[in-house]
Amino acid sequence: MQPDLTAALSMRGIEKHFGSIIAVDAVDLDIPTGQICGLTGPNGSGKSTLFDCCTGLQKATGGRVFAAGTEVTGWEMHRIVREARVIRSFQKAVVLRAMSVEDNLVLAGQMVAFPGFAGTFAIGAASRARIRGLRERAGHVLELVGLSHMRHAEAGKISFGQQKLLQFSTMLMADPRVILLDEPMAGVNPVLIERMIENINRANREDGITFVVVEHNLDAMKALCHRLVVLSRGRIIADDTPDVVVRQPEVVEAYLAG
Amino acid sequence: MGSDMRLRIGGFAGFLALLLVAPAFLGEYQVHALIVSLTFLLPALGLNLILGYAGMLSFAQMAFFGIGAYVSALMAMRWGTPFWLNFLAAGVVAGVVALPLGIPALRLRKYSFVMCTLGFAVIAQTLAKNWVSVTRGDLGLSNVPRPMLGLWSGGIEIRGITSYYYLALGLSVIAVLAFLAIVSSPAGRYMIAIREDETLAASVGAPTWRYRMAAFVLSGVFAGCGGSFYVHYYTVISPTIFDPYYGNTLLVIVLGGGVGTLGGVVAGSFIFVALSEVLRVAPDIRMIAYGLLLIVVVFGCPEGLLPLLMRKLRRPTHAT
Ligand SMILES: Nc1ncnc2c1ncn2[C@@H]1O[C@H](COP(=O)(O)OP(=O)(O)OP(=O)(O)O)[C@@H](O)[C@H]1O
Ligand SMILES: [Mg+2]
Repeated sequence: MQPDLTAALSMRGIEKHFGSIIAVDAVDLDIPTGQICGLTGPNGSGKSTLFDCCTGLQKATGGRVFAAGTEVTGWEMHRIVREARVIRSFQKAVVLRAMSVEDNLVLAGQMVAFPGFAGTFAIGAASRARIRGLRERAGHVLELVGLSHMRHAEAGKISFGQQKLLQFSTMLMADPRVILLDEPMAGVNPVLIERMIENINRANREDGITFVVVEHNLDAMKALCHRLVVLSRGRIIADDTPDVVVRQPEVVEAYLAG
Repeated sequence: MGSDMRLRIGGFAGFLALLLVAPAFLGEYQVHALIVSLTFLLPALGLNLILGYAGMLSFAQMAFFGIGAYVSALMAMRWGTPFWLNFLAAGVVAGVVALPLGIPALRLRKYSFVMCTLGFAVIAQTLAKNWVSVTRGDLGLSNVPRPMLGLWSGGIEIRGITSYYYLALGLSVIAVLAFLAIVSSPAGRYMIAIREDETLAASVGAPTWRYRMAAFVLSGVFAGCGGSFYVHYYTVISPTIFDPYYGNTLLVIVLGGGVGTLGGVVAGSFIFVALSEVLRVAPDIRMIAYGLLLIVVVFGCPEGLLPLLMRKLRRPTHAT
């Protein structure tokens, strides 16, 4: 099957083997631009590994990945982020704990403000002005997601749910086309889940960012996603609107078995 | 945060003022000890960059230091080039040597990288011992010219211990400022991110390998420059400079002072070099006492002396 070159993200035959374990098994998936696509499935069904293969964190055993028509198969992660503007979050809340909330955002924005390698060593007035610009932008983003009051806090010291929101904010600093979120709501209290959903919706609506969201919380998925894909043992077993998918017998079965 | 910054700037300014007036109150031997401390400061800053900011332990620092020393000495002896040129060339050559070494070494995982740098240090020493036509082997080079402060030929020759001291101090201030510029640049922020979490750094677009390489090359430049000053001060150089003792001293300075901090490494250079000099009064137990003190430091403040001190200063009411 030909890749869909108009899709924000197009995967063809993605496979990942760990020895005899087949974590991802010949996945074909197209994410049209502007979609919020949910991805769910039992534990160990290969969701995170699929993300890893699309973002260059792990090399797929087989298959090809296209981002907005450009083949990115085999690219390193930083290049996929910079050039294809596909950025991802990690399942464990990962922020740079020793840095302030604001510095976490500035760090993520640097790739936009300092595209060249040599330029990042500059400390002159121009460089400082760009960093100031990033701080301003960071303030704006923190305002939007509702973390302004935490701006100068040490990122390691804010609550787990806030760290997940922070991680989400850092991704907005990088001007992404596609954001892959790995369980952004797991372990987060209902209030912050609500806020996370709002934030994803706003970024999708206002900035036109395409989302793939891995999540076990099906209520949240129904509220958020245009489409829901279910993975089981590395294969796609369902792909439709959330309401339809959750009623499909093979999905119910996979969840009960998994 | 603001008060922290003020504390830091105040601390540095006060310390610098102390160092500026120190020779007026100290004997020749103590000034010599201060010069030795300042000599170690440069390679220690380099080690701090690769270890404290890029998170890779390198044993190549003293090899770069030695390379810088030989380059600088040979240039001065053969071509009579001025000190500033030898000093810069020493840094550049050390950095250029770091580049091809880093290409395979930095692709390896952390432990293999350590082994690779150790291997390099051994090779550098063997080369210094056996490339007799250039290095004069174990005899080493002697009568290395004293630093000439002039644009090309002639100029002021640095002779007295006090002039050496102020030259060392001036170079150290430049080195500290250069270090500060590197770590506070956007590249420095990437390096810190790489140290804290390499995957996360890559996920926000940092080409991690390139920044580790930059840190490694720059660490070589700092060490090479340090070697240049060293050789024009002692006026002799031999392959013993590659001995593990010196490399260990650097590790002690950086780890004991506070890895990943600037003030800690500056303080560490003085404290640990001075300590080793002070202990010379008891030559029999000197190394044993030194070793024991290190162990005490490690237990007392595992992050190094400076972070401990900063915490105390910040919360003076809390006695720990
Ligand atoms: N580095 C690895 N080495 C060996 N096996 C692995 C590795 N990473 C993942 N696996 C295996 O691959 C399969 C898929 O794992 P993955 O983490 O992608 O699942 P997941 O759908 O994200 O699960 P969860 O919902 O628990 O996060 C599992 O069987 C897992 O044990
Ligand atoms: Mg997972």
